[in-house]
Amino acid sequence: MAQLPNGKPLPGKLFVVEGIDGSGKSTQMDLLRKWLIGEGYCVAFSEWNSSPEVQATTRRGKKKRLLSPTTFSLIHAADLADRMERQIVPALKAGAIVLADRYIYTAFGRDVVRGVHPQWVRKVYSFAVQPTVALYFRVPLQESITRITSGRPQLKFYEAGLDLGLSSDINESFRIFQERIVQEYEKMVDEFGLMVIDAMQPLTEQQEMVRRIVAPHLQGVLKAERSAWRDVLVKEQLYGRYLTDIGAERGQL
Amino acid sequence: MTQVRFYGYGLPGMRQQELSGRLIVLEGTDGVGRSTQVALLREWLESSGYAVVSSGLKRSDLAGKGIALAQQGHYLSDMTSCLFYATDLTDRLEREIIPALRAGFVVLTDRYIYSIIARALVRGLDQDWVYNVLGFALVPDKVFYLRSDLNHLVPRVLNARGFNYWESGMDFLRKRDYYESYAEYQGRLLAQFDAMGSEFDFHLIDARRSVHEVFVELRHNISKLIEGMRPRSPRIPQ
Repeated sequence: MAQLPNGKPLPGKLFVVEGIDGSGKSTQMDLLRKWLIGEGYCVAFSEWNSSPEVQATTRRGKKKRLLSPTTFSLIHAADLADRMERQIVPALKAGAIVLADRYIYTAFGRDVVRGVHPQWVRKVYSFAVQPTVALYFRVPLQESITRITSGRPQLKFYEAGLDLGLSSDINESFRIFQERIVQEYEKMVDEFGLMVIDAMQPLTEQQEMVRRIVAPHLQGVLKAERSAWRDVLVKEQLYGRYLTDIGAERGQL
Repeated sequence: MTQVRFYGYGLPGMRQQELSGRLIVLEGTDGVGRSTQVALLREWLESSGYAVVSSGLKRSDLAGKGIALAQQGHYLSDMTSCLFYATDLTDRLEREIIPALRAGFVVLTDRYIYSIIARALVRGLDQDWVYNVLGFALVPDKVFYLRSDLNHLVPRVLNARGFNYWESGMDFLRKRDYYESYAEYQGRLLAQFDAMGSEFDFHLIDARRSVHEVFVELRHNISKLIEGMRPRSPRIPQ
């Protein structure tokens, strides 16, 4: 059950994926999403750092390297607060499933490594809905680094934790930064009851595991009739030439 | 000397115990004449030989533009704007105010956390949460609370720029009428500021008086705060 901070239960379900860069969490979330949609559920998706109202400021801060540990933390909290009120809570009130790629645990990990007080940042985010399930993709550091460095052109300043002055070498800085974040995640497994997924398992096995964890929570969740017009086409022997265009525009096909 | 004290957990990485400048805050509701007084005080201080930096809400390099843009769309939720204002203030504290205080400037700020708190609390945000968020804030040397009342504020606002959407609380009071909304909102803000006075050690200034009278009182009080900070001039040989 997803729960408001005041303990009030919401009819929808909030599933969260967490883990360091290169843990494969986004891939698994994408597979989960497609499965849920295929099963006919109403699924909303919310991504870390995606609020249009806040993003311009975050982008400016990152590009011009203006962010300190505290402003980095606050601006990401503003992002989640905005998405919470406009996206996440309304969808959960309507009884839908919300999938979040990164959530408060990302902030707790990164910001504490940057030096903000653990209790301070936990209280800042106390507005956040308690997720139904939070999945943590555990991956050995070296494996995640190999995945990242082979798939991405160049690490960015804050992504690599260069603001922390851990090392002047960007790759070395990234490695130390990620290592420290892993330590924070590991502490949070017990603190918040994160469900650990072994991200070294083959993709399909991880996905099976994810589905097994999620499935018991799906009873009574809002379903949406998708492509209701298909029946009409069959019954009336129409081709649906124009309808398929609309479907494609809406991303239904 | 300004003792480095914070309202809450403070700023990570701040090792200094003392700062040689002074942090002076002018607070009060909209239209009470804060920015006029800051401008007058700055001129007086500089012509007396003090180095001055002035600052105000929404003026940070990082978040100033972002807030202004978002407010044009009338689309910020209460918590988001509180966090946005907090980001703006932290950026100014870390990159403008504290460096200036370290260097020995007199820093005059037009509003500080108290406006952010009042704004958030009248909109119904949880006090503990708001105080925690703003716990990074340095405790100022002095907070002057410029207090006026609606009868004095309304004509000033009308003469200046008219009723503004946010200053009238149109975002949450849901009244159709700007004047009614303004009166209700500013009334609630005043009550909130009054309630915070003793907690945050406000120095009350009656801002219903003329600009000149208010200035003289502020100048008198600030003179005491900055004693000994003025550079001494050598005797110029005749």
